[in-house]
Amino acid sequence: MMPNEKILSAQIRRRTLLGSMAAVGASAGLSTLGVSKAFAQEPEKPSEIIVRAWGGSWVDSLKAGVSDSFTKMTGIAVRHDLTEDNEIQPKIWAAVAQKRTPPIHINWDTTTNATKSALRGVTEDLSDLPNLKNTTDLAKPVGLDGYPIVNTYGYVYVLAYRPSAFPNGAPKSWKDLLDPKLKGRIALYNDGIGFHFPAQVAGGGKLEDIPANMQPAWDFIAKIKEQQPLLGEDPDFTTWFQKGEIDAACTISTNAREARKNGIELAWVVPEEGAKFDTDGLWIPKGLPENELYWAKQYINHALTKEAQQVWLDGLGLPGVVPGLTPPADLVGDPSYPTTEEDFKHLIRISSKVQVENESQWFAKFKEIMQG
Amino acid sequence: MTGSRSKSIVIWAFVVTALLMLSAPTIVVLGASFTAGNIITFPPEGLSLKWYGAIAQASDLRQAFFRSLIVATICTLISIPVGTLAGIALSKYRVRFARTIQIYLLLPFTIPLIGSGIGMMLVFGEMGALGKLWPVGIATCVINLPFMIWAVTASASNLSPDLELAAANCGAPPLQRFLYITLPAVLPGIITGSLLMFILALNEFLVSLLLVDARSVTLPVQIYNSIRSIITPDLAAISVVFIACAGVAIALLDRLVGLDIFLKSK
Amino acid sequence: MRHSRVAYPLTWRVMDVFERLAAAVWPSSFQRGLPYLMLLPAVVLVGLLVLGLIQIGDSSLRTLDTSTFMMSENYTLANYQRALSEKFFATVAGRSLMGAVIVTVITLIFAFPYAYLMVRTPSSALRKFLLVALFLPFFIGQVVRAYGWLIILGNQGMVNEALGLVGVPPMRLLYNYPAVLFGLVQYMLPFAVLMLAPALTAIPAELESAASSLGAGWVRTFRHIVLPLARPGLVGAGLVVVTLSLTDFAIPAILGGGSQDFIANAIYDQFFRTSDQGLGATLSLLLVAVGSILVGVVFMLFGAGTLAMGDERK
Repeated sequence: MMPNEKILSAQIRRRTLLGSMAAVGASAGLSTLGVSKAFAQEPEKPSEIIVRAWGGSWVDSLKAGVSDSFTKMTGIAVRHDLTEDNEIQPKIWAAVAQKRTPPIHINWDTTTNATKSALRGVTEDLSDLPNLKNTTDLAKPVGLDGYPIVNTYGYVYVLAYRPSAFPNGAPKSWKDLLDPKLKGRIALYNDGIGFHFPAQVAGGGKLEDIPANMQPAWDFIAKIKEQQPLLGEDPDFTTWFQKGEIDAACTISTNAREARKNGIELAWVVPEEGAKFDTDGLWIPKGLPENELYWAKQYINHALTKEAQQVWLDGLGLPGVVPGLTPPADLVGDPSYPTTEEDFKHLIRISSKVQVENESQWFAKFKEIMQG
Repeated sequence: MTGSRSKSIVIWAFVVTALLMLSAPTIVVLGASFTAGNIITFPPEGLSLKWYGAIAQASDLRQAFFRSLIVATICTLISIPVGTLAGIALSKYRVRFARTIQIYLLLPFTIPLIGSGIGMMLVFGEMGALGKLWPVGIATCVINLPFMIWAVTASASNLSPDLELAAANCGAPPLQRFLYITLPAVLPGIITGSLLMFILALNEFLVSLLLVDARSVTLPVQIYNSIRSIITPDLAAISVVFIACAGVAIALLDRLVGLDIFLKSK
Repeated sequence: MRHSRVAYPLTWRVMDVFERLAAAVWPSSFQRGLPYLMLLPAVVLVGLLVLGLIQIGDSSLRTLDTSTFMMSENYTLANYQRALSEKFFATVAGRSLMGAVIVTVITLIFAFPYAYLMVRTPSSALRKFLLVALFLPFFIGQVVRAYGWLIILGNQGMVNEALGLVGVPPMRLLYNYPAVLFGLVQYMLPFAVLMLAPALTAIPAELESAASSLGAGWVRTFRHIVLPLARPGLVGAGLVVVTLSLTDFAIPAILGGGSQDFIANAIYDQFFRTSDQGLGATLSLLLVAVGSILVGVVFMLFGAGTLAMGDERK
């Protein structure tokens, strides 16, 4: 836990520091205006830019918070491409390899996937975005030089559960999933994402042994396998909770919150072993015409303003990367919306570099256990 | 149908089971599109057309639907001559290496769709054709082409060599023999084959996903991508509209050429 | 097309022009080449896939470097070694192969009576109804269709509720191997029926009535007359179903509950989840090889179905 704690506490310190700076009045909208003026001549505006986003409430939030105000400010329409992040990746990579114009201007991506693209060298450098100076350390991708991607918020893989299935109170530990009552009633992501690290702790291992020795995680996952978990994706989890197929799942809090908003009986916790904390970000693929690249950068710059972050992340229910955001009323003090150093202590954050280098092995191992 | 009572019972038992298997989920989903509630349930909670109102507003869905129609039309128009010729060649003539050619022509089914999709994305990308609709039309044609070929060869047992010889003896030149004897004989196969090609292309999603972009997205891809958390009844409503349009198309086709004739045993 | 048989001399004259054109372009001395010319467009179209396969073949010989996420410069057989040695891939391959065979048998059993009734019924309305019922399921999309199944077969679904009325406790009907096979049968049924129907139209109904008038029961008539004559259709339908179920991706993903992967799911994971195009390409090629061998074996065991006709007639 040591190295992560260091990163986190450094980040929190900087957070508080920046909080006071932000108050001085580097109002986001103003700074964007400043940028556009700084260039004597704006490059020609494209009629529209294409932003890849996840569907459902994800794209609705992005549209309300970032895209609509960007269009209002610049007159450039924003079209959303709802292809999954995993599925757009080979399309972008092939486009760059074949020296074609990529199919999108901006990719809203998980930091892990974005890091792969950055390592491959298909992302544009974003270090010169003016609004980066107002962001916390969370915005900076760990283990990469500069800003080939910009993180825009963090999220937690919580343990979501149906309260009526836990009459004795909320589950406290990931080990509670081993209760015989829950046989066939739990769900994990297909590739086990979000579950590997807490499983390492629950299996009696140490986080600093990642990635060298993850046997405790595999032992714990093998025990979970005996519980016959269902494996799926976000829409599956929602459906399964809705139709009474499962009682607990390891999932991103945003999806659990969205399900609850739609009337599904659901609550969530960060168990004592901790929960995986990760980030999502925005990046621009290489190969765009100069002027479109300029306006794509302006879009990301705009997404880093406090106003845009506030509305976007209210929709997602996630903590952003600019100081001074107000949490949505239903998430004040919620462990899935970490704001204090104390909150972060319960969360597990592993550098993206370690994750991308080992992820395929972890997925393979997880699959091998689950498909056996 | 001639035959005993027990024959009817056995056949109907299989057919009814098959019908149940085929239609149960569809009926449930279609019924749910008329719900007044916010989730897909069956029986629906109250009746309303609100989800149809919701999709009527969505112009992007309408555009995606028209793109799918274009793709399916391109696919069918290409597959009819290509599949018919290949089918007749394989069934009427003695071809050297026929088995190897058949294994080759079955590649669209033995290559997993993801492999075909990735491969064609690279090929069309190299040509600089991605983002247009015709590559999607060609791709959907290629991956389903065996259906067309096999539908034609399956009806080729109707081909009677004697009939053709007779025509030749009466002085009918080759093209006429082809048009008036060979073609009508395999017409049932061409009709069922092209129906299948059209409907499969209309609904194709995995390969299309890799070939379209945000400006050329087709309806099945659009629907698949929009599902992120809650599956809402508007998706069911889209399906109903989709089916209704396809139903009109099939009815028109029936009026024009009479589907019935081609499927009935002679 | 039919009315033109009693056509005006004008059309005849037009036809003559075409005939002469055809003869000029393709003199009868080229006759032997005709079937190959007819096959050419299909071979070219499928050639698009072969071009893709060549690219895939190239990636299959390169490994992924996870520090740069680029494929290695030099060729290696490491991916093939991995694919053939890891137990996981063997499990998944075995599951797909067995599934494909079971699904083919069951699908043919259901498709045959369906196609038979469809072509033999005197009622035109029933025929059209049966035809339309085949196409309906395609229109609701995989994800929504899975949701439909959940409403019917889920823990709180209609079937379990009905069972509950007679005192049977709810049981898990979905998200296991039988559920995947069931889903595949349902998905393949329309294809099989549509492949069988044209072959059945070619069997004269009089042949059957003749057999029964000679005292053969319908079961014997079926076995000795209808089935043998329908063999081309059965082989064709069987090949379609076996290859498509072997390479299917969607049904195991949505009805398998994540623990019943087929080979195509493993390929999807390599291409889209772990970005390892090399291993994904390798698995794809191996699958193509297995599928093609399977097709070859079917040809050897049952003849090439309809397609053997050319051979038999010489």
